[in-house]
Amino acid sequence: MHSQTIAFDADLARRYDRPGPRYTSYPTAPQFHADFGEAQLREAVQASNEEPIPRRLSLYVHVPFCFSPCFYCGCNRIITRDLGRSEGYLARLHREIARIAPAFDRDREVIQLHFGGGTPNFLNPVQLADTVDVMRRQFHFADRNDSDISIEIDPRFCDPAWMPALAKAGFNRASLGVQDFDPKVQQAVNRIQTVEETRAVVDAARSAGFRSVNIDLIYGLPAQNLEGFGKTLDTVLQIRPDRLAVYSYAHMPHLFKPQKQIDETLLLDGDAKLALLQLAVEKLTAAGYVYIGMDHFALPDDDLAQAQQRGGLHRNFMGYTTHADSDLIGFGVSAISHIGNTFSQNPRDLPSWEVAIDSGKLPVFRGMRMSEDDTLRADLIQSLMCQGQIPVAALERRYGIHFEDYFASALEQLQPLHADGLVRFTPDVIEATSQGRLLLRNIAMCFDQYLTPPAADAKPRFSRAI
Amino acid sequence: MSGLPFPRLSPQVLSDDGNELQFCSTCAFSHACMSQGMDKGALRELHVLVEHIGPFHAGEHVFREGDPFEAIAAVRAGTVKTCVTDRDGHEHVLGFHFPGEVIGLNAIDGHRYPCDAIALDTVMLCKFSFPKISVLATRVPGIQRELFRLLSRDIGRAALLAGDWSADQRVAAFLLGMSRRLAARGFSATRFQLTMARTDIANYLRLAPETVSRVLRRMQDDGILAVDRREVELLDQDRIDALAAPILRD
Repeated sequence: MHSQTIAFDADLARRYDRPGPRYTSYPTAPQFHADFGEAQLREAVQASNEEPIPRRLSLYVHVPFCFSPCFYCGCNRIITRDLGRSEGYLARLHREIARIAPAFDRDREVIQLHFGGGTPNFLNPVQLADTVDVMRRQFHFADRNDSDISIEIDPRFCDPAWMPALAKAGFNRASLGVQDFDPKVQQAVNRIQTVEETRAVVDAARSAGFRSVNIDLIYGLPAQNLEGFGKTLDTVLQIRPDRLAVYSYAHMPHLFKPQKQIDETLLLDGDAKLALLQLAVEKLTAAGYVYIGMDHFALPDDDLAQAQQRGGLHRNFMGYTTHADSDLIGFGVSAISHIGNTFSQNPRDLPSWEVAIDSGKLPVFRGMRMSEDDTLRADLIQSLMCQGQIPVAALERRYGIHFEDYFASALEQLQPLHADGLVRFTPDVIEATSQGRLLLRNIAMCFDQYLTPPAADAKPRFSRAI
Repeated sequence: MSGLPFPRLSPQVLSDDGNELQFCSTCAFSHACMSQGMDKGALRELHVLVEHIGPFHAGEHVFREGDPFEAIAAVRAGTVKTCVTDRDGHEHVLGFHFPGEVIGLNAIDGHRYPCDAIALDTVMLCKFSFPKISVLATRVPGIQRELFRLLSRDIGRAALLAGDWSADQRVAAFLLGMSRRLAARGFSATRFQLTMARTDIANYLRLAPETVSRVLRRMQDDGILAVDRREVELLDQDRIDALAAPILRD
C-alpha cells in the first residue's frame, strides 16, 4: 500500500457536503432493532467461540460522566460534579464484565481495551486501574507489547501526576480533546482549556512511557476563523502528537440537545468551514503528517501510518486500529458490541442500563444479525475507509459475485463521482483519487443499501460529510 | 479453480429434483446411475425409492441413537455430524457428512441406529428405504456395487484417526480429506467453509479446541492456508499433502 496523498478541492468539497454516516460500522446503528436481545447475543458469542480460529477481543468501556457540558457534544454523556456517582457506575460495570466474560473461550486474547466517554478521567487513576484489573482477571490479555490500553482524556480535569499511575496500570495510548485553543471559540462552546494544561498532560504521558498521544481538533465550531484556528494548528504542531484527528462539527440540535446552547449567529457558512479544513490539511501535510483517512492523520513512524503502508489498517467503533479482525465487546451505558456477524447495543440511558444490570441480565436493548449482503458491503466499505480502494477482484472471488452485476445500481450512483474525478477504475480495484480521499464517505454512501434518497423536508440523521 | 466454495450452492441444485432418467446432481447414487449404464426400468425403480426430506436446521436431529433403522440417507445439501454420547454424557464425534455422502450405513447390522445424526447447518436429504434398496440391489448390479463402495469408504474413514499422529498431521489430514471429498462433488477443492464447530473438529481429531486453533493459526502464519471466520483457503497444497500423507496414505 502507498501512503495516501490528498488534494483539497473547495468546489468539490462544497458540492459533496451532504449528510452521511461515518461508517464506524456497516450497517449503521439506526438499522439495529429490538428483536435482537440477550439470547441472540449469547448465541452469537457461542458461535464466535466455535470458529476455527476464534477472533481475538477488543474491549470498550463507556464512562458517561462529564464535569461540564461542551456545547458541541453529540456523545452520550451525563453532566455532574458529583464524583460519588462513579462508585455506583463502576460497581455495575464490574458486574457486567463478570457476567459476559465467562461466555468467551479462555484462549481468546484481548488485544485492545479502550476507555471512551463522556470523560473517562471522571474516574480517578485508582478506579481506572481497578477496572483494568477486573478486565485482566476476567479475560486473557495478550502480551503488553501486543495490546493497546487507551483512554480519552479531558486535560482540564487531569492532574499530570496521574499519568505515571495510568502507565503503571497498563495504559499506553492517550487521546486528548482540544478542539480549538482560540479563547473566543472556547467561550462559544463552553470549554475553556489552556495550552499549558494540555501540554502538561502530553509531557507527563510521554515521560510515563505512553506509546502514543493523539489530539482531537474540531473545525466548523462557532466563532472559529482562519487566524485563530491557524494558531491552534501551529501550537498543536509544536506539541507534535503522534496522531491527530480533525473532526467536522455537525450542528444537529434536533438530535443533540447540548447543541441548542450554541449561538447559531456565530456558526460558519459552508465556505468558511471548508477553508478551515483546507488550512488543516495543508498545515498538517506540510508538517509531515500522513493522511490515514476520515479525519485522521498520523506521523509516518506511528503504528497507524505503518499499518496503512502494509494494508493492515482496520476500522471499528473506536476509530482506526492496527488490530485486525477482532470481536468487540462494549461495556457500560450505550456501548456497542460487534460479535461475529452481529451488532448489539446497551441501553442508551443510564436508568435502563442500571435496571438491566440489577436484574441479572446482559443489558442488550437492540442489535442485528448481518445478512451475507451486509457482510459483503461492510467488507467493501472497510477497505474503502482504510485502504482508500475497493478491491473488486478480491471481493468477486471472496463472495462469488460478479461485481458489475451485483453492484449495478451502486455503480450507477458512483458515475457522477467518477465524472468528478473522485474515483479511478482499474481492472482489479476502484480507487479513491487524491481528491476522493477526503470524500470517502460520499463514495461509501453509493454502496450503502440502507440509504434511500432523502425526502426534501426530512431532518438529517447523520452529520455532514465535510 | 472450478466449483463454488462449500456450502454455497448454485441456485438450481436444490430445485433440481431429478426425474426417472436423471437424478439430482448431488445424489450419492448419481455415480451408479449415470456411469453404470443402467436401463430405464432400473432407474425408474430406484427413483421411486427416494424420498426428499428436510430442511433440517442447525442442531436438529436427523435420527437418534436407538431409533429403529429403516432407511439410509444421502446428504443433498449441508453437513451432518454423527456422534455418540457416553455414559458420562461426553459426546464423541464419529464423522461429518457432506453432500453426496450417505448416513445410516453403520445401522445395517442391527435394527437400530447406533449413533445420533445432527444437522450442522441447513440440511436436505434423500432418504432410501433400506429393505427396498436391498431388494433392488439383488437385481441391479450397479446399485449393489455402489452400496459396497459406500460401505467400504465408511469403514476406511473411521480408521483414519486411530494412529499416533501429531496435531499438525491430524489437522492437515482433516482439511485435505474434506477438500478431496468436496471436490469429488464439484465444490472448490481449495476454498470451503468449516461448517462444524471447532469443538466438534477437536473432538473428532482427539485434540483440544485450543490446539486446533493454534495449529491453524500457525499454518496461517506460515502461509499454508488462510482462515477468515469459518472459511478456509488452502494456499500451499504441497505442504498440506506432505503433512497429511502419513495418515491419508496416498
